[in-house]
Amino acid sequence: MIIAERKPVNELLDMISGVKKLLVLGCRGCVAICSAGGDKEVGIISAALRLGRSRMGEPIEIEEATLVRQCDPEYLEPLPDMAKDYDAVLSTACGVGVNFIADRCEGVNVLPGLNTTFYGANLSSGEWIEMCAGCGSCVLHLTGGLCPVARCAKSLSNGPCGGSTGGKCEINPSVPCVWHRIYDKLMDRKEEKRLQEIMPIRDWTTAGHGGPRRRLREDLLP
Amino acid sequence: MSVKIKGFCCNYTASVGVEALKQAGLVPEDFDMVRLPCTGRLEVQDLLEAFEKGADAVFVAGCMIDTCHNMSGSKRAAKRVGYAKKIIQELGMDQGLVEMFFVGRGETGPVVEAVREMVSRAEAADS
Repeated sequence: MIIAERKPVNELLDMISGVKKLLVLGCRGCVAICSAGGDKEVGIISAALRLGRSRMGEPIEIEEATLVRQCDPEYLEPLPDMAKDYDAVLSTACGVGVNFIADRCEGVNVLPGLNTTFYGANLSSGEWIEMCAGCGSCVLHLTGGLCPVARCAKSLSNGPCGGSTGGKCEINPSVPCVWHRIYDKLMDRKEEKRLQEIMPIRDWTTAGHGGPRRRLREDLLP
Repeated sequence: MSVKIKGFCCNYTASVGVEALKQAGLVPEDFDMVRLPCTGRLEVQDLLEAFEKGADAVFVAGCMIDTCHNMSGSKRAAKRVGYAKKIIQELGMDQGLVEMFFVGRGETGPVVEAVREMVSRAEAADS
């Protein structure tokens, strides 16, 4: 899922400076699952902003709503009408939701309530870790299912580098060296031959280096 | 100056009512307490809204960690108090103005102590 985290309250207060009526708009997709922007977090952020503005002597009127998703057009359809009485909409979706509202909802002053961080998995309650970089050219079949793009600090295609010590990455001893793990995994699977194959230089155009990416599926187009 | 203290307790803490405590002069007039079935149900939003509604300090009195009637209710409440501390600190407030107290079942004395502690913290923050 997409992992995100709340922006600091002071940054949000600066962002809504001068706003008298605000709609805090949550999303029940990934950001609800990672406890950053679902119904509960909309309530917390709204309460924090009301308290902050009240302490500044500038009370604010805040309404709360949450959409099923902010990344599908059908759920955004009611938004221009919903938002017309507000000076701004603070979206607690990921950056996709904020962009989609800005693109599609004319007249809506949308602001980001979260920092969108990575594609990750939930290790335990309250802990998420990056697993995928969305690079558009998956090599997991060559690396025992472990991603060297997202999980190697240098995104090396042919690792490990010289900084790997005792199975740990040189950036931080708490970070496992993913190439060390790939090596162990392929040895366990008796696929050590793969380790002798040199991966070619990567074409990063699929990773967004060729501009914003678009995917088309002819059979699904209207 | 009189400070306003808001408390939240569970069904099993503080056997004596707030009015009785006020009449006995044990807690200030500007003290209000909400009794919940379990403090584990308390949300961060409730703590922040208590400040927004005028409380100078807010506390939660829940069961002792190992004797919570609902196993982990007071533990959950303590974590939410922790998150509320982080938010009020971001707002420039003293994080000690919201606190969790673990209280033995039916014991009123520690709740009275908690109120006095929060009065003292609110007065210090105001000075």
